[in-house]
Amino acid sequence: MYQYTEFDRSFIEERVNHYREQTTRYLNGQLSEDEFLQLRLRNGLYLQRLAPMLRVAIPYGTLSSQQLFALGKVAREYDRGYGHLSTRQNMQFNWPELAEVPDILADMAKVDLHAIQTSGSCIRNVTTDHFAGAAADETIDPRPYCEIIRQWSTNHPEFEWLPRKFKIAVTGAAEDRAAIGVHDVGLRVYRDDKGDVQFDVYAGGGLGRTPVLGALVRSELPIEHLLTYLEALMRVYNRYGRRDNKYKARIKILVRAMGVDGFRAKVDEEWAHSKGGPGTLPEAEITRVEAFFAPPGYSQQPEVGDALAEHRLANPKFSQWLQHNVTEHKAPGYAAVTLSTKATGVPPGDVSDTQIDAVAQWAADYSFSEVRISHEQNFVLPHVPKQHLFELWQKAQAQNLATANARLITDMICCPGGDYCSLANAKSIPVAEALQERFDDYDFQYDLGELNLNISGCMNACGHHHVGHIGILGVDKKGSEFYQISLGGHAGHSELAPSLGQIVGPSIPRAEVCDVIAKILEIYVDLRLEDESFLGCFKRVGIAPFKERVYAPSH
Amino acid sequence: MHHLINKQNDEWQLVSQEDSEQQKIEWQDAESWQPGQALRLPVDAELDPQWGQASVIGIDFPALTDGRGLSLAVLLRTRLNYSGDLRGLGAVHEDILHFMVRCGFSSFELPESRDPNVALNCIAPHKQYYQSSVVDPLNHFDRV
Repeated sequence: MYQYTEFDRSFIEERVNHYREQTTRYLNGQLSEDEFLQLRLRNGLYLQRLAPMLRVAIPYGTLSSQQLFALGKVAREYDRGYGHLSTRQNMQFNWPELAEVPDILADMAKVDLHAIQTSGSCIRNVTTDHFAGAAADETIDPRPYCEIIRQWSTNHPEFEWLPRKFKIAVTGAAEDRAAIGVHDVGLRVYRDDKGDVQFDVYAGGGLGRTPVLGALVRSELPIEHLLTYLEALMRVYNRYGRRDNKYKARIKILVRAMGVDGFRAKVDEEWAHSKGGPGTLPEAEITRVEAFFAPPGYSQQPEVGDALAEHRLANPKFSQWLQHNVTEHKAPGYAAVTLSTKATGVPPGDVSDTQIDAVAQWAADYSFSEVRISHEQNFVLPHVPKQHLFELWQKAQAQNLATANARLITDMICCPGGDYCSLANAKSIPVAEALQERFDDYDFQYDLGELNLNISGCMNACGHHHVGHIGILGVDKKGSEFYQISLGGHAGHSELAPSLGQIVGPSIPRAEVCDVIAKILEIYVDLRLEDESFLGCFKRVGIAPFKERVYAPSH
Repeated sequence: MHHLINKQNDEWQLVSQEDSEQQKIEWQDAESWQPGQALRLPVDAELDPQWGQASVIGIDFPALTDGRGLSLAVLLRTRLNYSGDLRGLGAVHEDILHFMVRCGFSSFELPESRDPNVALNCIAPHKQYYQSSVVDPLNHFDRV
């Protein structure tokens, strides 16, 4: 993991002091609501429907055990005993007092955590693959480059007041678990034939009310030019992105208006002036940051195949968990473990302080003190020796964190929705709960296989419904909550370009959502060829058979 | 009447109302401007190489959230190598000053409603930054 330098540490301390002073001015009436809004957002503080919400940045989803313990303490001391894992790998607290937020941030700063730029029209927390550094299908660990981008984008003098928020994601594996195609900027990092690090840069992707897949604007960008190129791109967006209408202010609208070629040419023109200039990354800096992410001290592991097989035989639940929540690791004898927060009856991503503490302890005991947060809103222990899997499973079971549903239908992505968020048109948590209950039969889930179901409570698409194999979007219809269902979306991987879901038919009231999803699953089971996934089946048959049958009157 | 903030002997300071009145500037917009005169630009101005010959350049911010003036300032400093006074005008807010300074602004007209002492107080909230800027050629990584 990256270790803070004295500079990093004093920088976030200064930031806390600055924000404390801003909060005081606001409480003294020296800053208006609108002025303070801009400042608090850039320090992670929203004023929600019921109470403030503080979003703590988890840079590229990576935490130490000590940091996670500190978050558990925040949940306990400032919140009502829980936190929420967000779809952008951050952690949110729903009940902090506005006046206490500087104290929370000061506590966070003691363990090198902050809430800088987790909201507002600026460059947000950079996200990546939650299995980075561990995944067997990884060609290069993206985290050093995420850290370089984090540093560069923090308090950037020119890009703190953009037309709209700006999200950057990086992937270095065959399967794109960072969903780079639906980010303002998506970076695919790899090594060229000579072993040099390069990037393919995609721009203009995004979800929200106008979902668009990013376009390739530059391929084979050498690492030393990463920051000067991003700076040129950001400058074009900062100067020419629309500011007259917030719904047309994301970079995707600019890229579309200029055309991909026009946008690329403009960025290149800008870059010609700065390429090789002061932002060029020296070799020494790249090596310095890469060194922080060197593999942990893996040791020779005993052969545990027989012991695991015995446990599997005796504990079918453990067997299912191994199959679904334990992922192949690049180091022999190790595995990456997904601790699912999606137990039936729990809002997706919600975790109690006790659970947070437990995960922090398991990270210390079994995973080199490292934890990840996935954009699917689960915890991941990235480096667990296989010999400890059974022990860990037993402990996770006791904390309700061993639901064996990773990547299955009940491992839903779900935004906080109308229960908390003032932007939402409709609730999303009750829909998730109803679906979890309806499809609680694990044999049925296992038979369905991999299936991402994503729910957003409004067009802002925080629940990523456009890239769910099944997407559910809450809409407002004459003051009532309705839901629109789309099919066939996915975030893509090296062999499959990402795609956006297609709407299956008219929106429906909440009471009918479970029946319609059940019908969709029935059609899939009916149409699938042997071992064909939902997505594979959809790609083959298209939307038509679903359209025909989902809304057909039953006889 | 606004508060004028500028730098004297490397220290940010509030210019007295009297001095500020005496230094009153006759701003010209880009259409009527002639070399040697004071040039007032909107945030969406496109660079004109002649502007390097302005006696002073002001950039007029329409709102505290509008970052276009920051990019324009960087371009004036780095692309045109403009080295004269660069002044923030319009919706200049005390909490944006530190960004403006790092983009090359050298003076500010702070609206009368704002407290200039607060502004001076938060003009440099950090000792160092991650990125190089118009006023500091070193990145964090150049210092480690």
